[in-house]
Amino acid sequence: MNGSGLQNTFGMVAKMATLHWKGDEIGDGINYLTDVMIEHLDCITKSKFEAMSSDIAIAQFRFLERLLLVHGHWCYRRMSSMICYFFYKNIAFGFTLFFYEAYASFSGQAAYNDWYLSFYNVFLTSLPVIALGVFDQDVSSQFCLKFPVLYQEGIHNVLFSWTRILSWAINGVFSATCIFFLCIYSMEHQAFRKGGEIVGLEILGTTMYSCVVVIVNLQMALSINYFTYIQHLFIWGSILFWYLFLLGYGAMDPTISMTTFMVFIEACAPSPSFWLMTLFISIATLFPFFTYSALQRRFFPMCHQMIQLMSFHGHVEDPEYSEMVRQRSSSPTLVGCTARLEAKSMSFEGET
Amino acid sequence: MNAAGSDGADKMHSKKPKYSMFTQQELPAFKPILTPGRVITLFVSIAVICIPIGLACLYASENVVEIVDRYDKDCIPSSYSTNTDDMISYIQSSTTNKTCIKKFTVPKKMKHPIYIYYQLDNFYQNHRRFVQSRSDNQLRSKENEDKVTGCLLEASNSDGPIVPCGLIAWSLFNDTYAFSSNNVTIQVNKKGIAWESDTQFKFGYDVYPKNFQSGVIGGAKLDEKIPLSEQEDLIVWMRTAVLPSFRKLYGKIEEDLDANQKITVVIQNNYNTYSFGGDKKLVLSTTTWIGGKNDYIGLAFLTVGGLSFSLAIIFNLLYLFRPRLSRVQLCGNSDPDGGWERGGVFEQAEVEPGGCLDSIELLFQKQTFEFDDLGLLSLGFSRSGQQQNLLT
Repeated sequence: MNGSGLQNTFGMVAKMATLHWKGDEIGDGINYLTDVMIEHLDCITKSKFEAMSSDIAIAQFRFLERLLLVHGHWCYRRMSSMICYFFYKNIAFGFTLFFYEAYASFSGQAAYNDWYLSFYNVFLTSLPVIALGVFDQDVSSQFCLKFPVLYQEGIHNVLFSWTRILSWAINGVFSATCIFFLCIYSMEHQAFRKGGEIVGLEILGTTMYSCVVVIVNLQMALSINYFTYIQHLFIWGSILFWYLFLLGYGAMDPTISMTTFMVFIEACAPSPSFWLMTLFISIATLFPFFTYSALQRRFFPMCHQMIQLMSFHGHVEDPEYSEMVRQRSSSPTLVGCTARLEAKSMSFEGET
Repeated sequence: MNAAGSDGADKMHSKKPKYSMFTQQELPAFKPILTPGRVITLFVSIAVICIPIGLACLYASENVVEIVDRYDKDCIPSSYSTNTDDMISYIQSSTTNKTCIKKFTVPKKMKHPIYIYYQLDNFYQNHRRFVQSRSDNQLRSKENEDKVTGCLLEASNSDGPIVPCGLIAWSLFNDTYAFSSNNVTIQVNKKGIAWESDTQFKFGYDVYPKNFQSGVIGGAKLDEKIPLSEQEDLIVWMRTAVLPSFRKLYGKIEEDLDANQKITVVIQNNYNTYSFGGDKKLVLSTTTWIGGKNDYIGLAFLTVGGLSFSLAIIFNLLYLFRPRLSRVQLCGNSDPDGGWERGGVFEQAEVEPGGCLDSIELLFQKQTFEFDDLGLLSLGFSRSGQQQNLLT
């Protein structure tokens, strides 16, 4: 199920169900929903063969509600976050290389060792993205069921609009700019350690790359709100793995490790300016994103952020808060316990 | 689901998968939320971390005494200094006198060890073809003398392979400096200026220079009796620099220099930077725990710390003056027509006289703020249609 297919399907279902709502009894509406679902989502309650070829198979009709409201919402959110973040981390990494070319007379000299370049997408930044794409939850499943308005985030393409994609890309360019220029200016010509030693290409490459890895992983930690042991392991583990790799690779014979030979243990680790630069550049680069995040969550919160705040403050059972969230919905609620209760109250009031 | 079978066990045959927290995605999780209190705390803690570090770095940088002296233009005799071609012919000639004497005064007391650097500008040691033009195998051991393929240029001549081959070694810097003060020579220690990993592992103790600078001379000549592991100038030069403007360690002075002491430097101006418009500078510098003179680090920390602190104050004011109400006041009234709106735009609901607050126009994902008659900011949503009382 790809993102756009999912969206179109949800949109169609919502529209059709809306048209069908007025004047029909609940039973008809839900039957109609079922038919539509079977056509477009390949959800099958019947044969095993059809189940194997479908995208999703559910065993009973009552699971449909959970499929849509919980997994549909989570899936949309995970995929949009993952794709945006993936662009961000590669742009942040790639642009530092591009900027360096301006200082190397565009000769094609990479700022980093070849193995650093290879390891970036494989070991150092891939696992947190997988954790984001597979395990992330913005609100727990009970709130997804309770507030079907979250489902409409998918229909209205709130989390994957062009604005959002481009903002993440620009964030990546900004991060790369910060990392590169702050590294260059702090390690210019002067000695970087008490022993009077000067920064060479391998030392700057190691410092800049360490900054990129740390910042990209911290950015992930800032953008998610759900930390299980998996996320902790992958995010902090990736950063730790980078330093361990430097130690291990640097300890290998110079014919294998070439310019990285003992660069961490001899040059970088004993130098206070290496650690201070990593700390400072991380703070400076993530500062704007953090400020924006704080402002946006406080004054322009999105649906799922309001629900997160409500559950944090314990207001989830409060009818007025719940009402506030539900009223963000621009389409009527059609599925779930909410719809059933509404329909019941409507039929009691004698409205058709 | 099949009911219990007729055999004696009477077990319910359920296809429900075994529950585990992992598969049901109910793992215990830490869910941090950016509440106002936490945001302000974080900003303040960033300020508390950054500002003292910034001050410490700035103080250290201010304590560094650095003397920078550009000498490439000054060290050309007046007869050759009119145009670039004359300068180039001066520097390339083997008969002209390259000695140049410069004097300067020490501004503040400099504690030993004082590091002597030569700084080159507009010299792209980080050019890809330059960086690749070396043979690490050849530098390490004598048996690899013939492994010159990586060097491309300056690899071998008619007499055999050049050791060390490649452009990096060939362009070795060859200006020399001799320091004296009041006619007393100041000793310059040229040992221990290269990285230990280079001298011990990368440059062999059994490799001696051979056929070096035999054709076009690009830089310094090497003493063929000294093995490469002890040729520290070469080793320092072969660690390629990052930027087109760089310094390399020349030597160390192991005695203190007092303030206002007059230093005389005798420079042998051998190196040709005139062909490509490069500069040459002589630098004397002390170091502190942070290294050489660079105010930038301290100032950068202070900037971030200051910015963080001011943002903490701004956020505090923002939260004070625009607090979110603890109880949201809703207003809405029954629309007798009933029915639902399609799409995202709603009409403004009518406000009851003496109503709780003014209604606001709602577009999906956009909201406007208005003050109610109590002067309190509130977030309210209105929707045409029935008032929902689902939980009653």
